[in-house]
Amino acid sequence: MSVAVPKTTLSEFVVLDNERIADGLWRLRCNTPLARRLEPGQFVQVEVPNDGSHILRIPLSFAHADAREQTLEIVYAIVGEGTARLARMRPSDRSTMVGPCGNGWKLPQEGGRALLVAGGVGLPPIVACAGLLCDAGVGFDAIVGAQTAGRHCMDYIDELRSMPLHHKCDCARNVIVTTDDGSLGMRGFVTQAMEDMLAEHPYAQVYTCGPNMMMAGVAKLSLARDIACQASLERMMGCGFGACSCCNVLMVDGSNALCCTDGPVFDARRVQW
Amino acid sequence: MVGKPNMTVDLGGISMRNPVNTASGTFGNGLQFEGFYDVGTTLGAITCKGVAAEPWPGNAAPRLAELPSSMMNSVGLQNPGVHMFVKTYGDYLQSLRARGCAVICQVAGHSIDEYRMALELFDELAPFASGFEINISCPNIAKGGAAMGGTPADAAAVMRAVRPLTDRPLVVKMAPHDVAEIGRALEAEGADALSLINTIPGMAIDVRTRRSKVARPTAGVSGPAIHAIAVRMVWECAQAVSVPICGIGGITSGVDAAEMILAGATAVSVGTANLTDPMAASRVVEELGEWASEQGVKSITELIGAFEC
Repeated sequence: MSVAVPKTTLSEFVVLDNERIADGLWRLRCNTPLARRLEPGQFVQVEVPNDGSHILRIPLSFAHADAREQTLEIVYAIVGEGTARLARMRPSDRSTMVGPCGNGWKLPQEGGRALLVAGGVGLPPIVACAGLLCDAGVGFDAIVGAQTAGRHCMDYIDELRSMPLHHKCDCARNVIVTTDDGSLGMRGFVTQAMEDMLAEHPYAQVYTCGPNMMMAGVAKLSLARDIACQASLERMMGCGFGACSCCNVLMVDGSNALCCTDGPVFDARRVQW
Repeated sequence: MVGKPNMTVDLGGISMRNPVNTASGTFGNGLQFEGFYDVGTTLGAITCKGVAAEPWPGNAAPRLAELPSSMMNSVGLQNPGVHMFVKTYGDYLQSLRARGCAVICQVAGHSIDEYRMALELFDELAPFASGFEINISCPNIAKGGAAMGGTPADAAAVMRAVRPLTDRPLVVKMAPHDVAEIGRALEAEGADALSLINTIPGMAIDVRTRRSKVARPTAGVSGPAIHAIAVRMVWECAQAVSVPICGIGGITSGVDAAEMILAGATAVSVGTANLTDPMAASRVVEELGEWASEQGVKSITELIGAFEC
Protein backbone atom coordinates (compact mmCIF):
# COMPACT_ATOMS: atom_id res chain seq x y z
CA MET A 1 0.00 0.00 0.00
CA SER A 2 1.35 3.37 -0.95
CA VAL A 3 -0.24 6.76 -0.66
CA ALA A 4 -0.94 9.28 -3.38
CA VAL A 5 0.85 12.61 -3.53
CA PRO A 6 -1.46 15.25 -2.03
CA LYS A 7 -2.68 18.11 -4.20
CA THR A 8 -2.55 20.68 -1.40
CA THR A 9 -0.63 23.80 -2.41
CA LEU A 10 -0.06 27.39 -1.33
CA SER A 11 -2.00 30.02 -3.31
CA GLU A 12 -2.32 33.78 -3.19
CA PHE A 13 -5.66 35.51 -2.87
CA VAL A 14 -6.84 39.07 -3.41
CA VAL A 15 -9.87 40.35 -1.49
CA LEU A 16 -12.75 41.47 -3.72
CA ASP A 17 -15.08 42.36 -0.86
CA ASN A 18 -15.49 41.50 2.78
CA GLU A 19 -18.76 42.42 4.46
CA ARG A 20 -21.04 41.64 7.36
CA ILE A 21 -24.01 39.57 6.22
CA ALA A 22 -25.69 38.77 9.56
CA ASP A 23 -25.02 39.25 13.28
CA GLY A 24 -21.46 38.05 13.85
CA LEU A 25 -21.21 36.59 10.34
CA TRP A 26 -19.07 37.94 7.50
CA ARG A 27 -18.58 37.04 3.86
CA LEU A 28 -15.20 37.33 2.16
CA ARG A 29 -15.13 37.10 -1.61
CA CYS A 30 -11.71 36.78 -3.12
CA ASN A 31 -9.87 36.07 -6.31
CA THR A 32 -7.59 33.02 -6.22
CA PRO A 33 -6.37 30.41 -8.70
CA LEU A 34 -7.14 27.85 -6.01
CA ALA A 35 -10.86 28.27 -6.82
CA ARG A 36 -10.30 26.10 -9.91
CA ARG A 37 -9.36 23.10 -7.80
CA LEU A 38 -11.83 23.18 -4.90
CA GLU A 39 -14.67 20.73 -4.48
CA PRO A 40 -17.83 21.39 -2.43
CA GLY A 41 -17.22 20.52 1.23
CA GLN A 42 -13.44 21.00 1.15
CA PHE A 43 -11.85 23.86 3.08
CA VAL A 44 -8.93 26.30 2.91
CA GLN A 45 -6.38 27.47 5.50
CA VAL A 46 -6.24 31.25 5.41
CA GLU A 47 -3.30 33.36 6.55
CA VAL A 48 -4.50 36.61 8.11
CA PRO A 49 -1.70 39.12 7.52
CA ASN A 50 -0.15 41.75 9.76
CA ASP A 51 0.09 40.01 13.10
CA GLY A 52 3.09 37.76 13.52
CA SER A 53 2.05 36.82 17.04
CA HIS A 54 -0.88 34.74 15.74
CA ILE A 55 0.98 31.99 13.98
CA LEU A 56 -1.78 29.59 12.91
CA ARG A 57 -3.85 29.83 9.76
CA ILE A 58 -7.65 29.80 10.05
CA PRO A 59 -9.53 26.83 8.56
CA LEU A 60 -12.53 28.15 6.61
CA SER A 61 -15.23 26.58 4.47
CA PHE A 62 -16.81 28.14 1.43
CA ALA A 63 -20.23 28.44 -0.18
CA HIS A 64 -19.05 28.91 -3.75
CA ALA A 65 -15.86 28.27 -5.70
CA ASP A 66 -16.19 29.58 -9.25
CA ALA A 67 -13.56 27.88 -11.39
CA ARG A 68 -14.12 30.10 -14.43
CA GLU A 69 -14.00 33.43 -12.58
CA GLN A 70 -11.45 32.07 -10.07
CA THR A 71 -13.47 33.48 -7.19
CA LEU A 72 -14.10 32.00 -3.80
CA GLU A 73 -16.85 32.93 -1.36
CA ILE A 74 -16.01 32.27 2.29
CA VAL A 75 -18.41 32.86 5.18
CA TYR A 76 -17.04 33.04 8.69
CA ALA A 77 -18.14 33.84 12.23
CA ILE A 78 -16.09 36.21 14.34
CA VAL A 79 -15.05 33.93 17.19
CA GLY A 80 -11.66 35.32 18.22
CA GLU A 81 -8.88 37.73 17.39
CA GLY A 82 -7.92 35.94 14.18
CA THR A 83 -11.37 36.14 12.62
CA ALA A 84 -11.77 39.71 13.94
CA ARG A 85 -8.61 40.66 12.03
CA LEU A 86 -9.84 38.77 8.97
CA ALA A 87 -12.95 40.98 9.04
CA ARG A 88 -10.65 44.01 8.74
CA MET A 89 -9.21 42.88 5.39
CA ARG A 90 -10.22 45.32 2.64
CA PRO A 91 -10.72 45.01 -1.14
CA SER A 92 -7.35 44.53 -2.93
CA ASP A 93 -5.64 43.30 0.28
CA ARG A 94 -3.58 40.19 -0.40
CA SER A 95 -2.63 37.11 1.53
CA THR A 96 -2.21 33.37 1.06
CA MET A 97 -4.29 30.25 1.54
CA VAL A 98 -3.43 26.57 1.69
CA GLY A 99 -5.74 24.18 -0.11
CA PRO A 100 -7.57 22.21 -1.27
CA CYS A 101 -7.82 20.75 2.24
CA GLY A 102 -9.76 17.62 3.15
CA ASN A 103 -12.45 15.63 1.41
CA GLY A 104 -15.72 17.09 0.18
CA TRP A 105 -19.31 15.88 0.09
CA LYS A 106 -20.06 12.66 -1.74
CA LEU A 107 -23.17 12.22 -3.90
CA PRO A 108 -25.74 9.73 -2.58
CA GLN A 109 -24.82 6.18 -3.51
CA GLU A 110 -28.37 5.28 -4.39
CA GLY A 111 -30.82 7.55 -6.13
CA GLY A 112 -33.47 9.35 -4.13
CA ARG A 113 -33.91 12.62 -2.35
CA ALA A 114 -31.47 14.32 0.01
CA LEU A 115 -32.13 16.34 3.15
CA LEU A 116 -29.70 19.16 4.00
CA VAL A 117 -29.53 20.33 7.63
CA ALA A 118 -27.49 23.44 8.47
CA GLY A 119 -26.97 25.32 11.73
CA GLY A 120 -25.39 28.77 12.13
CA VAL A 121 -22.11 29.15 10.29
CA GLY A 122 -22.52 25.58 9.02
CA LEU A 123 -24.66 26.98 6.22
CA PRO A 124 -21.99 27.85 3.60
CA PRO A 125 -20.70 24.29 3.07
CA ILE A 126 -24.33 23.17 2.90
CA VAL A 127 -24.94 25.74 0.14
CA ALA A 128 -21.90 24.27 -1.64
CA CYS A 129 -23.44 20.81 -1.17
CA ALA A 130 -26.75 22.00 -2.65
CA GLY A 131 -24.86 23.19 -5.73
CA LEU A 132 -23.24 19.77 -6.08
CA LEU A 133 -26.63 18.04 -5.80
CA CYS A 134 -28.22 20.40 -8.33
CA ASP A 135 -25.47 19.75 -10.86
CA ALA A 136 -25.98 16.00 -10.39
CA GLY A 137 -29.76 16.24 -10.63
CA VAL A 138 -30.38 15.10 -7.07
CA GLY A 139 -33.50 16.62 -5.51
CA PHE A 140 -33.30 17.95 -1.98
CA ASP A 141 -35.07 19.69 0.87
CA ALA A 142 -33.25 21.83 3.42
CA ILE A 143 -33.57 22.88 7.04
CA VAL A 144 -31.62 25.95 8.10
CA GLY A 145 -31.40 26.88 11.78
CA ALA A 146 -29.97 29.78 13.78
CA GLN A 147 -30.35 31.13 17.30
CA THR A 148 -32.31 34.15 16.19
CA ALA A 149 -33.51 35.94 13.03
CA GLY A 150 -30.55 38.34 12.93
CA ARG A 151 -28.10 35.45 12.66
CA HIS A 152 -29.67 34.00 9.51
CA CYS A 153 -27.93 34.64 6.18
CA MET A 154 -31.01 35.43 4.11
CA ASP A 155 -29.03 35.55 0.83
CA TYR A 156 -28.16 31.90 1.15
CA ILE A 157 -31.63 30.85 2.23
CA ASP A 158 -33.03 32.61 -0.85
CA GLU A 159 -30.38 30.91 -2.94
CA LEU A 160 -31.32 27.46 -1.64
CA ARG A 161 -34.93 28.20 -2.56
CA SER A 162 -34.15 29.43 -6.06
CA MET A 163 -31.23 27.27 -7.22
CA PRO A 164 -31.74 26.33 -10.87
CA LEU A 165 -33.80 23.20 -10.97
CA HIS A 166 -32.27 20.44 -12.99
CA HIS A 167 -34.68 18.42 -15.08
CA LYS A 168 -34.15 15.41 -12.86
CA CYS A 169 -34.81 17.43 -9.69
CA ASP A 170 -38.04 17.16 -7.82
CA CYS A 171 -39.42 20.66 -8.28
CA ALA A 172 -41.30 20.78 -4.99
CA ARG A 173 -38.39 21.87 -2.81
CA ASN A 174 -38.93 22.63 0.85
CA VAL A 175 -36.58 25.02 2.63
CA ILE A 176 -37.51 25.22 6.31
CA VAL A 177 -36.09 28.01 8.44
CA THR A 178 -35.92 27.65 12.23
CA THR A 179 -34.83 29.90 15.08
CA ASP A 180 -34.29 28.90 18.70
CA ASP A 181 -36.32 31.91 19.85
CA GLY A 182 -39.04 31.81 17.19
CA SER A 183 -38.07 35.22 15.74
CA LEU A 184 -38.07 33.78 12.22
CA GLY A 185 -39.67 30.67 10.75
CA MET A 186 -40.35 27.69 12.94
CA ARG A 187 -39.54 28.03 16.64
CA GLY A 188 -37.13 25.36 17.94
CA PHE A 189 -34.14 23.34 16.87
CA VAL A 190 -33.44 21.95 13.40
CA THR A 191 -33.85 18.43 14.78
CA GLN A 192 -37.52 19.14 15.59
CA ALA A 193 -38.13 20.29 12.01
CA MET A 194 -36.17 17.30 10.82
CA GLU A 195 -38.44 14.84 12.62
CA ASP A 196 -41.43 16.33 10.78
CA MET A 197 -39.64 16.11 7.42
CA LEU A 198 -38.55 12.53 8.00
CA ALA A 199 -42.11 11.56 8.86
CA GLU A 200 -43.42 13.06 5.62
CA HIS A 201 -40.75 12.19 3.04
CA PRO A 202 -38.43 9.29 2.31
CA TYR A 203 -34.78 10.42 2.07
CA ALA A 204 -31.79 8.54 0.70
CA GLN A 205 -29.15 10.77 2.28
CA VAL A 206 -28.78 13.46 4.95
CA TYR A 207 -26.03 16.13 4.77
CA THR A 208 -25.32 18.25 7.84
CA CYS A 209 -23.01 20.98 9.03
CA GLY A 210 -23.31 23.07 12.20
CA PRO A 211 -22.53 22.93 15.91
CA ASN A 212 -21.36 19.51 17.12
CA MET A 213 -24.39 19.01 19.39
CA MET A 214 -26.74 19.74 16.51
CA MET A 215 -24.95 17.35 14.16
CA ALA A 216 -25.00 14.65 16.83
CA GLY A 217 -28.80 15.01 16.97
CA VAL A 218 -29.11 15.01 13.17
CA ALA A 219 -26.91 11.92 12.94
CA LYS A 220 -28.98 10.11 15.57
CA LEU A 221 -32.27 10.80 13.80
CA SER A 222 -30.84 9.76 10.42
CA LEU A 223 -29.21 6.59 11.60
CA ALA A 224 -32.29 5.53 13.59
CA ARG A 225 -34.12 5.46 10.25
CA ASP A 226 -31.19 3.83 8.49
CA ILE A 227 -30.60 6.89 6.32
CA ALA A 228 -26.97 7.54 5.35
CA CYS A 229 -25.66 10.77 6.88
CA GLN A 230 -22.59 12.83 5.97
CA ALA A 231 -21.48 15.39 8.56
CA SER A 232 -18.88 18.13 8.09
CA LEU A 233 -16.94 18.55 11.34
CA GLU A 234 -14.94 21.45 12.70
CA ARG A 235 -11.79 21.30 14.83
CA MET A 236 -8.95 23.56 15.89
CA MET A 237 -6.26 22.87 13.32
CA GLY A 238 -2.49 23.22 13.26
CA CYS A 239 -1.78 22.66 9.58
CA GLY A 240 -4.92 21.49 7.73
CA PHE A 241 -3.11 18.93 5.60
CA GLY A 242 -2.06 16.01 7.82
CA ALA A 243 1.32 17.18 9.09
CA CYS A 244 0.64 17.63 12.82
CA SER A 245 -2.19 15.26 13.93
CA CYS A 246 -3.72 17.97 16.17
CA CYS A 247 -7.32 17.83 14.86
CA ASN A 248 -8.38 14.37 15.97
CA VAL A 249 -11.96 13.09 15.76
CA LEU A 250 -12.83 10.07 17.90
CA MET A 251 -14.37 7.24 15.88
CA VAL A 252 -16.76 4.59 17.21
CA ASP A 253 -14.02 1.95 16.92
CA GLY A 254 -11.89 3.94 19.39
CA SER A 255 -9.41 5.16 16.79
CA ASN A 256 -8.64 8.82 16.15
CA ALA A 257 -9.21 10.11 12.63
CA LEU A 258 -7.85 13.48 11.53
CA CYS A 259 -10.47 16.09 10.72
CA CYS A 260 -8.22 17.70 8.08
CA THR A 261 -7.29 14.73 5.91
CA ASP A 262 -9.85 12.05 6.83
CA GLY A 263 -12.63 14.66 6.95
CA PRO A 264 -13.93 17.26 7.33
CA VAL A 265 -16.87 15.34 5.83
CA PHE A 266 -17.36 12.08 7.72
CA ASP A 267 -19.81 9.22 7.48
CA ALA A 268 -21.82 10.01 10.64
CA ARG A 269 -22.01 6.30 11.51
CA ARG A 270 -18.25 6.19 12.08
CA VAL A 271 -18.08 9.20 14.41
CA GLN A 272 -18.27 8.78 18.19
CA TRP A 273 -20.75 11.58 18.88
CA MET B 1 34.78 35.65 -6.72
CA VAL B 2 34.23 33.10 -3.99
CA GLY B 3 32.17 30.05 -5.02
CA LYS B 4 29.07 28.93 -3.20
CA PRO B 5 29.90 27.37 0.15
CA ASN B 6 29.69 23.63 0.58
CA MET B 7 26.51 23.09 2.60
CA THR B 8 26.89 19.38 3.32
CA VAL B 9 27.08 18.29 6.95
CA ASP B 10 27.44 15.00 8.79
CA LEU B 11 25.00 14.49 11.63
CA GLY B 12 26.65 11.60 13.47
CA GLY B 13 26.94 9.46 10.36
CA ILE B 14 23.82 10.80 8.66
CA SER B 15 25.07 12.58 5.58
CA MET B 16 23.00 15.66 4.72
CA ARG B 17 23.25 17.77 1.52
CA ASN B 18 22.46 20.80 3.64
CA PRO B 19 21.87 21.29 7.38
CA VAL B 20 18.07 21.56 7.15
CA ASN B 21 15.98 18.80 8.71
CA THR B 22 12.35 18.81 9.92
CA ALA B 23 11.15 18.31 13.49
CA SER B 24 9.22 15.11 14.12
CA GLY B 25 5.47 15.61 14.32
CA THR B 26 5.43 18.82 12.29
CA PHE B 27 6.09 17.43 8.84
CA GLY B 28 3.82 14.39 8.58
CA ASN B 29 6.11 11.91 6.88
CA GLY B 30 7.26 14.30 4.18
CA LEU B 31 4.68 13.27 1.61
CA GLN B 32 2.19 15.84 2.95
CA PHE B 33 4.54 18.59 1.68
CA GLU B 34 5.17 17.29 -1.84
CA GLY B 35 2.39 19.52 -3.22
CA PHE B 36 4.28 22.56 -1.89
CA TYR B 37 7.80 21.69 -3.06
CA ASP B 38 10.02 18.77 -4.04
CA VAL B 39 11.02 17.58 -0.56
CA GLY B 40 13.51 14.98 -1.81
CA THR B 41 15.66 17.36 -3.83
CA THR B 42 15.39 20.28 -1.40
CA LEU B 43 15.94 19.26 2.23
CA GLY B 44 18.97 17.77 3.93
CA ALA B 45 16.81 15.35 5.90
CA ILE B 46 13.34 14.77 7.24
CA THR B 47 12.49 13.28 10.62
CA CYS B 48 9.32 11.21 10.47
CA LYS B 49 6.53 11.19 13.03
CA GLY B 50 7.36 9.10 16.13
CA VAL B 51 6.33 5.45 15.73
CA ALA B 52 6.08 2.69 18.31
CA ALA B 53 6.12 -1.09 17.88
CA GLU B 54 2.31 -1.21 18.17
CA PRO B 55 -0.26 1.46 17.13
CA TRP B 56 -1.04 4.24 19.64
CA PRO B 57 -4.36 6.14 19.52
CA GLY B 58 -2.86 9.39 20.87
CA ASN B 59 -4.58 11.77 23.28
CA ALA B 60 -8.19 12.97 23.38
CA ALA B 61 -9.31 16.24 21.75
CA PRO B 62 -8.60 19.10 21.96
CA ARG B 63 -4.91 18.64 21.28
CA LEU B 64 -4.09 22.17 20.25
CA ALA B 65 -4.19 25.72 21.60
CA GLU B 66 -2.83 28.86 19.97
CA LEU B 67 -0.71 31.12 22.19
CA PRO B 68 1.15 34.39 21.55
CA SER B 69 3.89 33.64 18.96
CA SER B 70 3.53 29.96 19.79
CA MET B 71 1.16 27.04 20.10
CA MET B 72 0.81 24.11 22.44
CA ASN B 73 0.09 20.56 21.41
CA SER B 74 -0.87 17.40 23.19
CA VAL B 75 -1.00 14.87 20.36
CA GLY B 76 0.51 12.09 22.46
CA LEU B 77 2.37 10.37 19.62
CA GLN B 78 -0.63 9.00 17.76
CA ASN B 79 0.92 6.50 15.35
CA PRO B 80 0.00 3.38 13.34
CA GLY B 81 2.84 1.14 14.60
CA VAL B 82 6.01 0.23 12.71
CA HIS B 83 4.43 -2.36 10.39
CA MET B 84 1.69 -0.06 9.08
CA PHE B 85 4.07 2.91 8.93
CA VAL B 86 6.49 1.00 6.72
CA LYS B 87 3.69 -0.39 4.57
CA THR B 88 2.19 3.05 4.02
CA TYR B 89 5.29 5.23 3.68
CA GLY B 90 8.14 2.84 2.84
CA ASP B 91 8.09 3.37 -0.93
CA TYR B 92 7.79 7.13 -0.56
CA LEU B 93 10.62 7.37 1.97
CA GLN B 94 12.80 5.21 -0.28
CA SER B 95 12.13 7.73 -3.05
CA LEU B 96 13.34 10.52 -0.75
CA ARG B 97 16.63 8.69 -0.27
CA ALA B 98 16.91 8.23 -4.02
CA ARG B 99 16.50 12.00 -4.41
CA GLY B 100 19.32 12.64 -1.93
CA CYS B 101 17.33 13.47 1.21
CA ALA B 102 18.24 11.62 4.42
CA VAL B 103 15.37 9.91 6.26
CA ILE B 104 15.39 9.75 10.05
CA CYS B 105 12.76 7.50 11.60
CA GLN B 106 11.68 8.44 15.09
CA VAL B 107 11.30 5.68 17.67
CA ALA B 108 8.71 5.99 20.48
CA GLY B 109 8.08 3.86 23.55
CA HIS B 110 6.54 3.78 27.02
CA SER B 111 9.35 1.68 28.49
CA ILE B 112 12.84 0.46 27.68
CA ASP B 113 11.34 -2.77 26.34
CA GLU B 114 9.02 -0.88 24.02
CA TYR B 115 11.90 1.24 22.63
CA ARG B 116 13.80 -1.98 22.06
CA MET B 117 10.90 -3.65 20.26
CA ALA B 118 10.26 -0.63 18.06
CA LEU B 119 13.91 -0.19 17.08
CA GLU B 120 14.34 -3.89 16.34
CA LEU B 121 11.33 -3.76 14.01
CA PHE B 122 12.56 -0.56 12.37
CA ASP B 123 16.05 -1.95 11.83
CA GLU B 124 14.56 -5.01 10.15
CA LEU B 125 11.76 -3.39 8.14
CA ALA B 126 13.05 0.09 7.26
CA PRO B 127 16.04 -0.15 4.89
CA PHE B 128 15.18 3.40 3.80
CA ALA B 129 16.10 4.86 7.22
CA SER B 130 19.41 6.77 7.22
CA GLY B 131 19.28 6.69 11.00
CA PHE B 132 16.91 6.66 13.95
CA GLU B 133 15.90 9.29 16.48
CA ILE B 134 15.08 7.94 19.94
CA ASN B 135 12.39 10.19 21.44
CA ILE B 136 12.95 10.24 25.21
CA SER B 137 11.33 13.63 25.63
CA CYS B 138 7.68 13.67 24.56
CA PRO B 139 5.90 15.73 27.24
CA ASN B 140 2.46 14.43 26.30
CA ILE B 141 2.37 10.80 27.32
CA ALA B 142 1.69 9.50 30.82
CA LYS B 143 4.41 6.84 30.76
CA GLY B 144 7.62 6.91 28.76
CA GLY B 145 8.55 9.96 26.71
CA ALA B 146 9.98 12.69 28.92
CA ALA B 147 9.75 10.40 31.93
CA MET B 148 12.27 8.10 30.25
CA GLY B 149 14.87 10.79 29.70
CA GLY B 150 14.39 13.00 32.73
CA THR B 151 17.73 12.31 34.43
CA PRO B 152 21.19 11.47 33.09
CA ALA B 153 20.86 7.95 34.55
CA ASP B 154 17.45 7.28 32.98
CA ALA B 155 18.52 8.65 29.60
CA ALA B 156 21.69 6.55 29.72
CA ALA B 157 19.67 3.42 30.53
CA VAL B 158 17.54 3.84 27.38
CA MET B 159 20.61 4.47 25.26
CA ARG B 160 22.44 1.46 26.69
CA ALA B 161 19.45 -0.76 25.84
CA VAL B 162 18.98 0.39 22.25
CA ARG B 163 22.59 0.98 21.16
CA PRO B 164 23.40 -2.68 20.36
CA LEU B 165 20.24 -3.11 18.24
CA THR B 166 21.36 -1.27 15.11
CA ASP B 167 24.53 -0.31 13.28
CA ARG B 168 22.83 2.77 11.87
CA PRO B 169 23.26 6.21 13.48
CA LEU B 170 21.21 6.93 16.61
CA VAL B 171 20.10 10.48 17.38
CA VAL B 172 18.43 11.18 20.74
CA LYS B 173 15.64 13.78 21.01
CA MET B 174 16.16 15.59 24.31
CA ALA B 175 13.85 17.38 26.71
CA PRO B 176 14.44 21.09 27.42
CA HIS B 177 16.26 20.74 30.74
CA ASP B 178 19.70 19.70 32.06
CA VAL B 179 20.90 19.37 28.49
CA ALA B 180 24.62 19.42 29.33
CA GLU B 181 24.46 16.63 31.92
CA ILE B 182 21.99 14.47 30.00
CA GLY B 183 23.86 15.11 26.75
CA ARG B 184 27.10 13.88 28.31
CA ALA B 185 25.39 10.74 29.64
CA LEU B 186 23.94 9.96 26.19
CA GLU B 187 27.26 10.53 24.48
CA ALA B 188 28.97 8.16 26.91
CA GLU B 189 26.46 5.43 25.98
CA GLY B 190 27.11 5.77 22.28
CA ALA B 191 24.62 8.33 20.96
CA ASP B 192 25.82 9.48 17.54
CA ALA B 193 24.03 12.82 17.68
CA LEU B 194 21.62 14.78 19.90
CA SER B 195 18.55 16.74 18.83
CA LEU B 196 17.17 19.48 21.04
CA ILE B 197 14.89 20.86 22.19
CA ASN B 198 11.57 19.07 22.32
CA THR B 199 8.55 21.26 23.18
CA ILE B 200 8.56 23.00 26.55
CA PRO B 201 5.83 21.79 28.93
CA GLY B 202 3.33 24.58 29.54
CA MET B 203 -0.22 25.26 30.65
CA ALA B 204 -3.06 27.32 29.20
CA ILE B 205 -6.22 27.65 31.27
CA ASP B 206 -9.61 28.82 30.02
CA VAL B 207 -10.48 31.00 33.02
CA ARG B 208 -14.19 30.97 32.18
CA THR B 209 -14.53 27.19 32.39
CA ARG B 210 -11.46 26.76 34.68
CA ARG B 211 -10.37 23.94 32.37
CA SER B 212 -7.22 23.40 30.37
CA LYS B 213 -7.43 24.65 26.78
CA VAL B 214 -6.24 21.17 25.74
CA ALA B 215 -7.49 17.80 26.97
CA ARG B 216 -4.64 17.32 29.45
CA PRO B 217 -3.48 19.83 32.10
CA THR B 218 -0.12 20.39 30.40
CA ALA B 219 1.06 20.37 26.80
CA GLY B 220 4.18 21.12 24.77
CA VAL B 221 4.82 24.74 23.77
CA SER B 222 6.53 25.36 20.42
CA GLY B 223 7.04 28.15 17.91
CA PRO B 224 8.96 31.44 17.67
CA ALA B 225 8.37 32.23 21.37
CA ILE B 226 10.73 29.42 22.47
CA HIS B 227 13.52 30.09 19.96
CA ALA B 228 15.82 32.04 22.29
CA ILE B 229 15.49 29.37 24.97
CA ALA B 230 16.34 26.65 22.46
CA VAL B 231 19.42 28.51 21.18
CA ARG B 232 20.69 28.85 24.75
CA MET B 233 20.21 25.12 25.41
CA VAL B 234 21.95 24.14 22.16
CA TRP B 235 24.86 26.38 23.18
CA GLU B 236 25.05 24.81 26.67
CA CYS B 237 24.86 21.28 25.29
CA ALA B 238 27.38 21.92 22.52
CA GLN B 239 29.97 22.97 25.09
CA ALA B 240 29.42 19.76 27.04
CA VAL B 241 29.54 17.16 24.24
CA SER B 242 31.56 16.44 21.13
CA VAL B 243 28.85 14.61 19.14
CA PRO B 244 26.95 16.74 16.62
CA ILE B 245 23.72 18.49 17.58
CA CYS B 246 20.57 19.11 15.60
CA GLY B 247 19.15 22.44 16.87
CA ILE B 248 15.36 22.66 17.14
CA GLY B 249 13.06 25.36 18.49
CA GLY B 250 11.11 28.14 16.83
CA ILE B 251 13.12 28.26 13.60
CA THR B 252 11.17 30.19 10.98
CA SER B 253 13.98 31.72 8.90
CA GLY B 254 17.56 31.33 7.75
CA VAL B 255 18.60 33.80 10.45
CA ASP B 256 17.04 31.60 13.15
CA ALA B 257 18.82 28.57 11.69
CA ALA B 258 22.11 30.49 11.52
CA GLU B 259 21.82 31.36 15.23
CA MET B 260 21.52 27.66 16.04
CA ILE B 261 24.59 26.83 13.96
CA LEU B 262 26.64 29.60 15.58
CA ALA B 263 25.53 28.30 18.98
CA GLY B 264 26.97 24.90 18.09
CA ALA B 265 24.39 22.99 16.03
CA THR B 266 25.59 20.99 13.03
CA ALA B 267 22.06 20.70 11.62
CA VAL B 268 18.73 22.38 12.35
CA SER B 269 15.12 21.20 12.28
CA VAL B 270 12.25 23.38 11.19
CA GLY B 271 9.16 22.51 13.25
CA THR B 272 6.04 24.55 13.97
CA ALA B 273 6.81 26.90 11.06
CA ASN B 274 5.97 24.03 8.67
CA LEU B 275 2.37 24.15 9.85
CA THR B 276 1.85 27.85 9.33
CA ASP B 277 4.05 28.33 6.27
CA PRO B 278 4.33 25.03 4.40
CA MET B 279 7.25 26.50 2.40
CA ALA B 280 9.22 27.29 5.58
CA ALA B 281 11.83 24.50 5.50
CA SER B 282 12.51 25.07 1.80
CA ARG B 283 12.90 28.81 2.44
CA VAL B 284 15.28 28.15 5.37
CA VAL B 285 17.52 26.10 3.03
CA GLU B 286 17.73 29.05 0.66
CA GLU B 287 18.25 31.71 3.33
CA LEU B 288 20.83 29.65 5.19
CA GLY B 289 22.81 29.27 1.94
CA GLU B 290 22.70 33.05 1.42
CA TRP B 291 23.96 33.64 4.95
CA ALA B 292 26.84 31.18 4.54
CA SER B 293 27.80 32.93 1.29
CA GLU B 294 27.73 36.31 3.01
CA GLN B 295 29.98 34.94 5.71
CA GLY B 296 32.52 34.08 3.02
CA VAL B 297 33.19 30.52 4.17
CA LYS B 298 34.11 27.55 1.97
CA SER B 299 31.97 25.21 4.07
CA ILE B 300 29.02 25.79 6.38
CA THR B 301 30.85 23.58 8.90
CA GLU B 302 33.26 26.47 9.55
CA LEU B 303 30.36 28.30 11.17
CA ILE B 304 29.35 25.56 13.63
CA GLY B 305 29.91 26.94 17.11
CA ALA B 306 31.45 30.10 15.66
CA PHE B 307 29.53 32.26 18.12
CA GLU B 308 31.90 34.83 19.62
CA CYS B 309 31.55 35.68 23.27
